[in-house]
Amino acid sequence: MKPVNAKPHILVVDDEPNVLVTYRLILQQQGYEVSAALSSEEARECLAATRIDLLLCDLSLEKQENGFDVIDFARQKNPNMPTVLLTGYATPEANEHAEELGIPVLFKPIDIKELLETISQLLRENYEEHEAAG
Amino acid sequence: MRVRTETPDLTGRSRRSALRLLGMERSEEVFPVLLEEIVSLGHPRSLVTRVNFETSEITPIASLNCSKTMLQRYRSSLFAVETPMVRILHSQEAELVPGRGKRGSGLYFYPLIYRNRTPCWEAERARGRKCIAVENYHCHLKLQLQEQVCGICEMRAYAAMVVTEITPGTTAAEITELRALIELANRYLSRLFKVEHYHNRMVDMETIITQMQTVMESMTDPVILTDPQHRVITQNKAAERYFRLPDDVSEGRVRAVELNNLLFSAALSSMAVSANDSSRDLTLVDAIEGEEVLFEAVSAPSFAPDGRRTGMVTVLRDVTDLRRADEELRANYDKLRQAEEVVRQDRDRLNLVIENVGDPIVVCDRDAKIALLDPRAQELLGTEKSRTAIHVRNQAKLDAYITQFTYSFSDRESAPIQLTHPDNQLEVEYDARSGKIYDERGLVAYTVTVLRDLTAVRRLEQLKLERRMLEMEKFAAAGRLAGTIAHEVNNPMEPIKNCIFLLTDQIKPEASPVYEILKAETERVARIVRQMLGLYRTTEQVGNFDVNSVVEDTLLLFARQLDRAGVRVAKEFSDLPPALGSADQIRQVLSNLVVNAKDSMSQGGVLRLRTHLVRHEGMRESIRIIVADSGSGISDNVLDTMFEPFMTTKGERGTGLGLWIVKGIIENHGGKLRVRSKVGKGTVFAIELPAVR
Repeated sequence: MKPVNAKPHILVVDDEPNVLVTYRLILQQQGYEVSAALSSEEARECLAATRIDLLLCDLSLEKQENGFDVIDFARQKNPNMPTVLLTGYATPEANEHAEELGIPVLFKPIDIKELLETISQLLRENYEEHEAAG
Repeated sequence: MRVRTETPDLTGRSRRSALRLLGMERSEEVFPVLLEEIVSLGHPRSLVTRVNFETSEITPIASLNCSKTMLQRYRSSLFAVETPMVRILHSQEAELVPGRGKRGSGLYFYPLIYRNRTPCWEAERARGRKCIAVENYHCHLKLQLQEQVCGICEMRAYAAMVVTEITPGTTAAEITELRALIELANRYLSRLFKVEHYHNRMVDMETIITQMQTVMESMTDPVILTDPQHRVITQNKAAERYFRLPDDVSEGRVRAVELNNLLFSAALSSMAVSANDSSRDLTLVDAIEGEEVLFEAVSAPSFAPDGRRTGMVTVLRDVTDLRRADEELRANYDKLRQAEEVVRQDRDRLNLVIENVGDPIVVCDRDAKIALLDPRAQELLGTEKSRTAIHVRNQAKLDAYITQFTYSFSDRESAPIQLTHPDNQLEVEYDARSGKIYDERGLVAYTVTVLRDLTAVRRLEQLKLERRMLEMEKFAAAGRLAGTIAHEVNNPMEPIKNCIFLLTDQIKPEASPVYEILKAETERVARIVRQMLGLYRTTEQVGNFDVNSVVEDTLLLFARQLDRAGVRVAKEFSDLPPALGSADQIRQVLSNLVVNAKDSMSQGGVLRLRTHLVRHEGMRESIRIIVADSGSGISDNVLDTMFEPFMTTKGERGTGLGLWIVKGIIENHGGKLRVRSKVGKGTVFAIELPAVR
């Protein structure tokens, strides 16, 4: 059971430490609880250990794994995990894939306002679904 | 009795007679006076007969105290030999013939003939030739009619006979006196005769001169007689017009005449100097009309009987019209020659052009039979002496084309024609350009076909195309570079932008303007980076497009090249949904693949282009484009690296970027590119593009 007034917990995944730090600060400033992961492995650990309300994931991570792998892992646990894909450059294939999974894609440089709006919308939708589901 | 020449001693009476005879001015006066003097010597009667050389008759011409009967007796003829008178005339010896009467009287015959001790002036001038007067004086010739004509002056001598009746008792001294008297008379007569002869000659001469002058005057051409110093002796009226000053003289005419005289004597001098030059042209001024008249002067020197040169006779012939016509003729001839020269030069130049044009030239007649081949055409078509199977095949191809052209209605035509070069047996592409030459009836007389070797042209076209491709590749490479840079710059932009966001509301008021600048400039960098990324993502208009028409367009672009390369194209198109992306970039991809395929089929072959729709699991569909050739194929080691930049098998001609860009474009479109190849069999490229539903 989720405490009603608990802060939403957002996991940010990016292989760039500075990007990661700044997003964490911004999101904390907005009143979210934020976890940060520099690699897909860290992300998986975090997802496994903690309840995450929203996944904010960069597409390009390591050579072997990318954002979709992290998303897949998260969705195995929670198929309705609200997710936003961040990318500097997405191939049309990636774009298509994200569309199939129903994941919004934001291109870097990301407009922070747009990001925050997308996050709050996804959280609201998820909450309403949750409420409706019971 | 011989006639003597010495003057006898004259008695007083004889002296009187001599003086009387000397006073005679005319020859016809001599005989009457002589007869009177004879009678006065005491002889009863005397008469003179004369030989008419024309008729040979001898007739009495003068007599004193003679009866008619007596005169009648002395009428005779030179042919009457029996009479003593004729005999004595022939012998030219005086004779005393005794009378037949009782009174013992006789007749004294004394022959007279034209004679003189000194030759006449004419004979003197013509040295060495004999004057009849002298001959008659020295020689004693039997009188001959023909001989009594002077060989020099053609004077006909006279012959006469003085017959005197001698009374009996006449002494020898009296006879001598008689003889001396007659002889004296003959001397005077000879002199008078000579003078009269000269007078007659003069009269004859005058007649001749008058006649000649009439002839001269009647000539319309100027005729001039000049002396050895080229001074005019006489001239006809036609000449006076040019050389003589008339009375009513104007200054212009004086000058004209002076000039004419000067020119004329100069011409004569030059003609006299050069013995060969008997005629020359001479321009004179018509003193009346003032016009220039061109004459041909024909001169002949005139000589005296002794061979002295006395001057020149010159006839001037007006040849103005003749010369003008002649000049016109000459000018026309020159023009003709020049025209001929021009034509000849043109022909030579044409020949030179034909020889150096470098392209084979074939001239055929109205029946499309070969009339003329230049050396290069002979190489292709052979000569009668040497002809190979290749020659025959080439000629068959050319014959078909030329026959078609000859009987067509077009004046000019050009068509591609493939001939085999006999030396290297390679197919050469020619552009046959033909024209017709018509005869005067407007029918085809000849056709001329020039075969242009297109190899060089094609090479140039190829070069241009490659250059264009290179430009495109460069652009794409630049785009890719820009994209890479933008991507690299974009990553650090992310935290910077986030930091600026985090600093909002934490800036001291005095630092606020600095913060605003930082924010604005960072946003600007973000904007630039976004543009650069966009350049790489989509260089052209992006939208829905019809793949089949792009393929069709590409083939159209290369149809001619493929045709020339002997590549047959097989197309197989299916109905397709539209694809999303840049039609231009896909066209670039196809162009690259088609050119590669063509290059791999240097001996010709088949290029297949196929499109069809592929359904994947679920609703996803993609459009597949197959580009397959029957060319040389790609070896395995090349297949591994062929999509990497700067990999090329074309040496200098390739950039090694073509397939790299192809791959890049397909990937940009979210498509896939696959290749299968077998050396010696061919290569298949398969492109898959997402379809739009």
